Amino acid sequence: MGTYFELDKLDLLKAQFDTAEYDAEQAEPALYIGKEQLLDLMRVLRETPTYSFDRMGMLTAVDYKDYIEMVYSLYSRRYDKWVTVKVKLDRDNPEVESMTQIWEGTNFEERETYDLMGVKFLHHPDLRRILMPDNYEAHPLRKDFVPLEPRIEGGVLTWHKQRSMS
Amino acid sequence: MAQTEKYVLNMGPQHPSTHGVLQVQVELDGENIVGAKPVMGYLHRGIEKLMESRTYVQCVPFTDRLDYVSAMNNNLGFCMAVEKLAGIEVPERAEYIRVICAELNRIASHHVFIGSLTNDLGSATGMIYAFRDREKILDLFNIICGARMTAHYIRIGGVAADAQDEFLRDTQKFIDYVPEMLDEYNKLFSGNEIFQARMKKTSIITKEMALKFGMSGPNIRASGVDYDIRKIDKYGAYGKFDFDVPLGKRGDNWDRYMIRMKEIAESAKIIQQALDNMPEGPYMAKVPKVLRPPKGDAYHRVENTRGELGFYIVSDGSTKPYRVHIRRPSFVNLQALDTMCKGMLLADAVTAFATIDPLMGEVDC
Repeated sequence: MGTYFELDKLDLLKAQFDTAEYDAEQAEPALYIGKEQLLDLMRVLRETPTYSFDRMGMLTAVDYKDYIEMVYSLYSRRYDKWVTVKVKLDRDNPEVESMTQIWEGTNFEERETYDLMGVKFLHHPDLRRILMPDNYEAHPLRKDFVPLEPRIEGGVLTWHKQRSMS
Repeated sequence: MAQTEKYVLNMGPQHPSTHGVLQVQVELDGENIVGAKPVMGYLHRGIEKLMESRTYVQCVPFTDRLDYVSAMNNNLGFCMAVEKLAGIEVPERAEYIRVICAELNRIASHHVFIGSLTNDLGSATGMIYAFRDREKILDLFNIICGARMTAHYIRIGGVAADAQDEFLRDTQKFIDYVPEMLDEYNKLFSGNEIFQARMKKTSIITKEMALKFGMSGPNIRASGVDYDIRKIDKYGAYGKFDFDVPLGKRGDNWDRYMIRMKEIAESAKIIQQALDNMPEGPYMAKVPKVLRPPKGDAYHRVENTRGELGFYIVSDGSTKPYRVHIRRPSFVNLQALDTMCKGMLLADAVTAFATIDPLMGEVDC
């Protein structure tokens, strides 16, 4: 995947954003950022000519039980560089700015993350479930997920918490 | 002028030309399309979740079921991501065999594209011809691993078994046949007047739009964006082969079709070079019986038949992945469907579905 973003440029970003952090011990350190500054950071990464990360390669979330982490993998076609940006979110109320404001093509991937992981994207044009049924009330990729029980009520398929075995 | 009223027509999920269980809610004004909303999830099996409760080796067969017409490419993507995470070096012979299989599978997948496209346009003959030739590749896979579609042949650290002489000989025979095959296709439908009229200047995706939607694969190259992961990343043995990346100009249906026709020829070129320079040696690296990649995460992307296929794997140091995320190209590409269909006639929607080439196994994951 080309080469990783240079450390001195990461340092520049760290000076520019006070919540930015990275682990200098790692070979390819992810750039951690506070969720309030995420949108500004992404704008800088995309629009600064010396960075020009024009492609959102991948976007997802990971449930670490104490917190939820958003992972963004950006790629610059011009310089053949890539960088990983991570944001830690509160597990009970995960909310983050939608990247559709910068990359319109993240629409479906954000809907998927919302559907399966329950992360709410602010200012998303069309935040609906995409893979699971619309009336499903759980997020399957969470680590504490218990499958819901399908039942037909009045001709409509509904989903219910499983009855305990006892 | 006749008075018209907008209405919504459901195409699919059970419809022969939506290629699987894709549902599209087409908003129509008379016969003109005003909007097209894809609705998916009918084939959602939760592969990402299933992988969390399997060991790394047990995860590989799931990738066959993602894009089930190009299973080898998916195996390759997943195995390379795990190898990156665990730091496994793959022997050179295995890299070459992988490239041969992946490119053969790319040709087979493009056969499905051509076959279903021509079928949707009303020429069932085209489908019979394309599937006849695809069968030749599936027979090759049958020789090398005993499976035709869900191959599970590329494994973590190499390939499952060495390529037999029979396989290499028959692959050579197939490669020799490719120019003749393409010639036949060109005579049969590329030159057909009705086919061209249906394809040219319909469902245009401009360069800007393709970049905006984050598209990848033949679809973005048809719009004239030089973006091929095989060329950019040179993963595996791809850096050693000489091949071109065909580009389109207008980004219409015709370009998306022609790109794939040209890609078949390029894939054949790659396979020929791999066959000529096939190194001797082991086909599998020394991989520990119980694979425990160190704590951390890795993202690896490969050029799947449909575009940029990425695997993001998080390891917690145990035998099972903590989290797997799959960036599926057809899922992202589908975002362009609305723009492609707008302003077209209902009959053209079928062509648009076919040329954007979504595979529901991959879209729904």
